Amino acid sequence: MPGTILENLSGRKLSILVAILLICQITCFLIGGFIAPSPAGSQSILSTVCLDEEPNKFHEQDRWLTKECKSIDLANEQAAVGLNASNFVFVAKMPLYGMDFSRWQQNLVGVLQIDMLYKSGQSINSVIELTLDSKLAFRSKWDSENKWTYLSSSQEKRTVECMLLEDKEPKDKYPYSCSTVPLFELGSLHHDYYLLNMRLPVDDKGMNVDLGFIHDIYLNIIHMNGGFTKVWLSLKTVFFPVLIAIMVWFWRRVHMLARTPALLEYLLLIVGVTLAFLNVPLEFLTLHFNMPYMLLLGDIRQGVFYAALLSFWIIFAGEHMLIKETPHKNSLRVYWMHLSGILVGCLSLLIFDLCERGVQLYNPFYSIWVTPIGTNLALSFIILAGISAGIYFIFLCYMIWKAFKNISIKKSVLPSMSTVRRLHYEGIIYRFNFLMLATVVCAAVTIISFILSQIAEGQNKWDENMELEVSSALFTGVYGMWNIYIFAMLVLYAPSHKQWPTDTICGDNGEEVEFSRLPTDPCPNEISSLTSFASKVSMD
Amino acid sequence: MEITVVTVIVLLIGCISLEYVDTRSKGRGRGSMWWGIAKAGEPNNLSPLSPGVLYMDSSVHGTLRKKQRRLARENPGVLVAVAKGANQAIHECQYQFRNRRWNCSTRNFLRGKNLFGKIVDRGCRETAFIYAITSAAVTHAVARACSEGAIETCNCDYSHHKSRPRISGNTAVAGVRDWEWGGCSDNIRFGFKFSREFVDTGERNRNLREKMNLHNNEAGRMHVQSQMRQECKCHGMSGSCTVKTCWMRLPPFRVIGDNLKDRFDGASRVMVSNVGNSHNNNAHNNKYNKSNNIISNSIHNRREGKGRKHKYGFQLKPYNPEHKPPGPKDLVYYEPSPGFCERNPKLGIQGTHGRQCNDTSIGVDGCDLMCCGRGYRTQMVDVVERCNCTFHWCCEVKCEVCRTKKTVHTCL
Repeated sequence: MPGTILENLSGRKLSILVAILLICQITCFLIGGFIAPSPAGSQSILSTVCLDEEPNKFHEQDRWLTKECKSIDLANEQAAVGLNASNFVFVAKMPLYGMDFSRWQQNLVGVLQIDMLYKSGQSINSVIELTLDSKLAFRSKWDSENKWTYLSSSQEKRTVECMLLEDKEPKDKYPYSCSTVPLFELGSLHHDYYLLNMRLPVDDKGMNVDLGFIHDIYLNIIHMNGGFTKVWLSLKTVFFPVLIAIMVWFWRRVHMLARTPALLEYLLLIVGVTLAFLNVPLEFLTLHFNMPYMLLLGDIRQGVFYAALLSFWIIFAGEHMLIKETPHKNSLRVYWMHLSGILVGCLSLLIFDLCERGVQLYNPFYSIWVTPIGTNLALSFIILAGISAGIYFIFLCYMIWKAFKNISIKKSVLPSMSTVRRLHYEGIIYRFNFLMLATVVCAAVTIISFILSQIAEGQNKWDENMELEVSSALFTGVYGMWNIYIFAMLVLYAPSHKQWPTDTICGDNGEEVEFSRLPTDPCPNEISSLTSFASKVSMD
Repeated sequence: MEITVVTVIVLLIGCISLEYVDTRSKGRGRGSMWWGIAKAGEPNNLSPLSPGVLYMDSSVHGTLRKKQRRLARENPGVLVAVAKGANQAIHECQYQFRNRRWNCSTRNFLRGKNLFGKIVDRGCRETAFIYAITSAAVTHAVARACSEGAIETCNCDYSHHKSRPRISGNTAVAGVRDWEWGGCSDNIRFGFKFSREFVDTGERNRNLREKMNLHNNEAGRMHVQSQMRQECKCHGMSGSCTVKTCWMRLPPFRVIGDNLKDRFDGASRVMVSNVGNSHNNNAHNNKYNKSNNIISNSIHNRREGKGRKHKYGFQLKPYNPEHKPPGPKDLVYYEPSPGFCERNPKLGIQGTHGRQCNDTSIGVDGCDLMCCGRGYRTQMVDVVERCNCTFHWCCEVKCEVCRTKKTVHTCL
């Protein structure tokens, strides 16, 4: 990579730029913290137990039980005499309190919580296999009260872990403590109301045989918060055109040079493109169209960006090794080994995602984790991704270590070099250190904010006095940070140009030093460019 | 036969006159008349979808104070929940005290009488438990009814963003906007707030008895709160935990009953402190307030903000100066319990005559303690009961019928 703007920027200008970026960064945090609500909201809905008098018609798509059905009190044992498990239908209408879903709320996740009581004489199994017969319907605000439209249905298996509280000896009607059961995931929240009808059938083959006495079934629904989506989309709408503008500027600058673009310049552009792909506020379309694939698409968009960013880092380290070895250094082929780790990792995550969220497009009740084969498959993909991530980081650390080692070697011989050569190497070292610093800071902030958000979610949110929405602040902050990081990379690592206004001393036709073919006999132009750099260094 | 009738009449007259004197002299227990709602109109028969019915019932109306009536009117559906809660409290109390001399018996509901009888007029442990469990039950039942969608008003109104000025005028539109913007808050919080407003209505922190009631009511709610369990779900990229959402899970009421019973056994006796609502014990006060944080953000925050602090920010002094001052989850009392051995019409105690006891136990359910040394009668009874039951979802309990000879001990 030839001389960049970063090297030719005066210290004052660089500090102004960094200050502006920092202000943008802080703004992003504050927007998330003070304007946006928490990213997602939830509601616990207690299901109504309905008596289904015609259980064989359960699967009919136009027959729905609502809250206005004949309800049964499970606690009343007399009421259940002579009934069969198929007669009991658990009904939950989403959302509660006469509200209706807004399309800004994006997606819907349903989690079951089954409260069981111990009945004397019951076998206590800690792991219970459930078979859930469930179906979903939707209704629009403008439809009549009973006009439910079929959305999907499925019979799914789930496992739930239960234990008696505090290891007390089992007493009649004492509660079990059971884990929650993920039930469904809807990629789009296109309609106003949703209705769940669910039953726990039994048969002779041991279906639901371990099930205890069910006291209550709660359906917890999780949706994105409309306010958060709005803030998030506004950020995207701001970042997207800015990024496009910077990329156009960057690419024009590269093309103005009388040489083919260097590998790192290509890579920077690719990272920019993937970020632009991530930044496109596609979610606006969900306000008008039903796009259940948005969850999957969102995952893919993020994944592609991470892959590009990770590749950029490793190649950046590779290009700054300061070893002049091969003529085809300027090609991706050299890095196949390093990049294959990223590729394998990303592909396995993609396959996993397609198996989980891809199938959920057709069956929202599907989960890869419930069958042993599925679990093994999912685990193997995730482990594969983990291994390749590990390999990647080992490679990255190795290359950074090697680069630093080379830098220290070069540094020790710097004084004995010719001025041009020295300045050239100093430029490279400066560039490298700058990116390393920025990257390490960004990565550290990301990791810390991830940990913080886990803690913030984990603690009781009883303290209403806290105005700051920590998790939203961390989300918008980190998102903004990576955008700003890429902006800064594109700006600072763009090739320095003769028309660059700050480089007035640089001369009119100052040409840049090509990294791969370091000229041993520097022409006057280059000297002028480099002396300007030298003068800048001395000024600093 | 005649004798019993006479005694009953005498009893009634005694009770009425005593009640009369009591309400006149101290006015205590007036805030607890709502317990009667448990027996009014048999709420189990009422569908939760017709909340108006219970409100109309005049017998219910009579048990409620003015403010409670207002709350019931403003929150349609809440009375059914309160009635369910009161019943739940009675069942739980009777379950927890089934083996004790005082077995939490309730009287037939009569207008103007307290459901649990005259024991409530004493500031003893039993009273403390009754107040705590009823307050806890209302919290629990209202929160549960909210999850059911049976109470329309426990929506987003009191949730987050209290700093955001609500657009006055169309509150329904504002509610919808709030829901779209930031979702709805916990139902449990509404349960707390409602319970505070409803249950604590009559208590104004004027004397030790009202302080005791307030403290025990708070303790009941604190037990509901502390037993809540957090559940989380990860739903970030590819289902990872980059986005995690958590919610609180309402504890089973039996757990709360168990815990309150433990607190009953270790209840603290308190005394009138001269300092009253003073700030002498500042450090402790602060701690107390902090742990009560959620509750201090009440429904009517602005209006009652100051008075509320005054109402709840007190610290009771232990009777025995060696003891620690009672914590927010402790039950407090200031009078020793009366003996429950003999029938005491003045206090509405039925005595332990005719109660069953366990001759092998050395605990309170043992015959020695239960029968207060009066001795017991032993009978052999043939019992036919279900045994070796196996339960299958949903409705199948397979049992064998066992015929056993049981020894039954009954207190004389």
